[in-house]
Amino acid sequence: MTVSDVARATNGAGPEDGPDGGRPSRPLVDDVRARQPKAIHSALAVLEEVAARGAGVTAREISDALGMPRATTYRLINLLVQEEYLVRMPDLTGFTLGRKVVQLAHLVAPSPPPRAAREVMERLRSGIRGGVHLARYDTDRIAVVDVDDDFPLSDENRIVRDWDASAMGRLLLAERGVSATSTRSGHTLGAIVEETRRAGFARQVDELVPGFGCLAVPIRDERGRLVASVSFAAPRSRIEDPGDVLATLEAGADELGRLLV
Amino acid sequence: MTALERAISDPRPIDGIGSRSPMHGLARRSIGFADVLGQSVSATAPSAAATTVPLLLSVVAGAAQVWSLALAAVLALLVASAVNEFTRRMAATGSLYTFVAKGLGTRASFVAGVALLTGYGFISMFALGGAGTYASVLLARVVPGVDASPVLLAGTIALVAALVALVLARGIRVSTRVALVVEAVSVGIIVTLVVLLLQAIAPRADWSVLSPAAVSPPTLAVGVVLGLTAFVGFESAATLGVEARTPFRTIPRAIVWTVVVSGALYVLSSTSFVLGFDVIGERMSESVMPVDQLASAFGVAWVGALLDLSIATSFVACAIASMTALVRVLFSMGREGLAPAVLGSTHSRFRTPFVAVVASTPLVAVVPVGAALLGAALWDTMQVLIVVAAGGYITAYVLVCAAAPVFLHRIGELTWPPVVRSILTVGLLLGALLVYLGEESQSERSPGVWVLLAVMAAGLVWALVRDRNVPGLRHRIGVHDEPIASDVLGGALRGHGTGRPGGTERSGGG
Repeated sequence: MTVSDVARATNGAGPEDGPDGGRPSRPLVDDVRARQPKAIHSALAVLEEVAARGAGVTAREISDALGMPRATTYRLINLLVQEEYLVRMPDLTGFTLGRKVVQLAHLVAPSPPPRAAREVMERLRSGIRGGVHLARYDTDRIAVVDVDDDFPLSDENRIVRDWDASAMGRLLLAERGVSATSTRSGHTLGAIVEETRRAGFARQVDELVPGFGCLAVPIRDERGRLVASVSFAAPRSRIEDPGDVLATLEAGADELGRLLV
Repeated sequence: MTALERAISDPRPIDGIGSRSPMHGLARRSIGFADVLGQSVSATAPSAAATTVPLLLSVVAGAAQVWSLALAAVLALLVASAVNEFTRRMAATGSLYTFVAKGLGTRASFVAGVALLTGYGFISMFALGGAGTYASVLLARVVPGVDASPVLLAGTIALVAALVALVLARGIRVSTRVALVVEAVSVGIIVTLVVLLLQAIAPRADWSVLSPAAVSPPTLAVGVVLGLTAFVGFESAATLGVEARTPFRTIPRAIVWTVVVSGALYVLSSTSFVLGFDVIGERMSESVMPVDQLASAFGVAWVGALLDLSIATSFVACAIASMTALVRVLFSMGREGLAPAVLGSTHSRFRTPFVAVVASTPLVAVVPVGAALLGAALWDTMQVLIVVAAGGYITAYVLVCAAAPVFLHRIGELTWPPVVRSILTVGLLLGALLVYLGEESQSERSPGVWVLLAVMAAGLVWALVRDRNVPGLRHRIGVHDEPIASDVLGGALRGHGTGRPGGTERSGGG
């Protein structure tokens, strides 16, 4: 089962592997993710939802919030209960996180970027008025690894969950060629993917906070695969007409690419 | 930071979680998958049933017995899927009794509880009688000057019962491990035997006797019902909900695997019997010891002795496993107050329902011991006991299958497939129960039907009287294991549920 795969993979990457943490076993985790990326994504989304709503959230509430089919959600929840990542409350209807989710810590909180990359981010921030964030893409997961402390993210849960809501998510949508999501029809989604591919960067306004938006510039490896992005959040007018900021971000992304890949 | 990262890096205590489960006192989360599987397989006793049930089936179903057993396995799997709707979601020692309480309420759970105790109790009597019979025969053979007298037989049964009680009291790891090893030996022997027989038979066999074309539907129906009795006990892993590690994974798996392994063994053995008797041109229904007879006919007579050993060990494992399940249902009832509260207490060192073991073992042992002393043909008594047990089990199965969709609806996790399965299974099982009791009431085992009805009625009256006289009992029925501080991220809210004295007053919700 996929979830026990996560368990095995993460157990193998535990601190007992030596001072270098999960490094040696990381390929195993990646291998599992490559085989079952969708299921892992859903499992983590369920855990995320339970964490966000707190103890006592019901299966139906989780299903509704994630827009996943009931039967699928119930099966997934019971799998997570079997593996003890989730615990059923004494009333049998609500759920809370099991102590075992601690083993997922490095999976949900990826290691911070190298110092050189953080320094590039600081330099970008000093030259740009607005929030500048660094995100990494891990198969089918978005992890915001360097957040601008002066301009915190509005809703990180939604950003990593609903790819069509944020600019950094739209980059991943365009990369994967996703044709439908729970929140948007294939038609509008197709337009977003088309626009992002044509422009070479992604843009979003009014989705997360009315009157605000963001831009995301891709960072790619030598084979052209999307591995990270640097994004810029600001009031709507500056997103619709970014001016010099776009060039600054693209130069930054180029530099970051050499440090991250 | 996402909510999950925040929860992990800064866990908050959870309200509504105690520092100990209402089922405290047992060796919580201490045994693994193999032991849980051993419990269910031993209670089913497939090696004993693989030789005895085909013999019973040969009378009513003839060559259709292979198909009857295969269909019975499918029916047992349907029941297993209903039971597992509960075992995936709650851990309880009360097994089907507690599950029915969560789905259909208190009254229905009384019926299920009495039925389940009847099933486990009478199968334990049956197994003790069987183990005593084989052990005393072995004793008489090995020890010179000892004759197989009624007193020796009664003494041996009492001795086996005392050993079972000792193993049960000594700790769940001891009893499940002993049952597992003993049953594994037994299944190993029977598989070897059947494979040897099939090898000897195959070159001369006429496989067309197995053709489904020769099977008539009424014969098949009666065959399936009798075949189902070969599977009863498979659900007993559910009584280890509190004591199993990762119970929501291991218990459903153990239950399904028990049905699959037993079903495969039954189909294999009945195939070899049908083919074998066809080759030697004799009627299986007139045989007493079909394996012995076939073994001699095919030149492997030495396997007869092995078979005796296999059946004897299977009876011992069955007695241990069935008593393990029985005392845990009693323990649950004691915790709730349906049964005297002292039955819900545990041994401080061995962490077993010690009082329930000491109280129930003599009650169960007295029937086979008494039958042996009175000089009654013990085998005839045992035939009656198994009718009572099977009736009890199937009654509990009907109720748990009906309870599953209601329970899922109550906790807001109902989907269509469990509803469809429930309606189908309840219909089939009710039909099966009526056909079975009807058939048996016409046979020489008819006292079993009347004993079943009398025991069920007496138990139900007792439960209803307790229900009226014990204040607050209704709210405590359905007690189950609850997550404790060490299971959840963040632990319990400080001061909640700590230092609570006794614990028996704690309700399990419901």
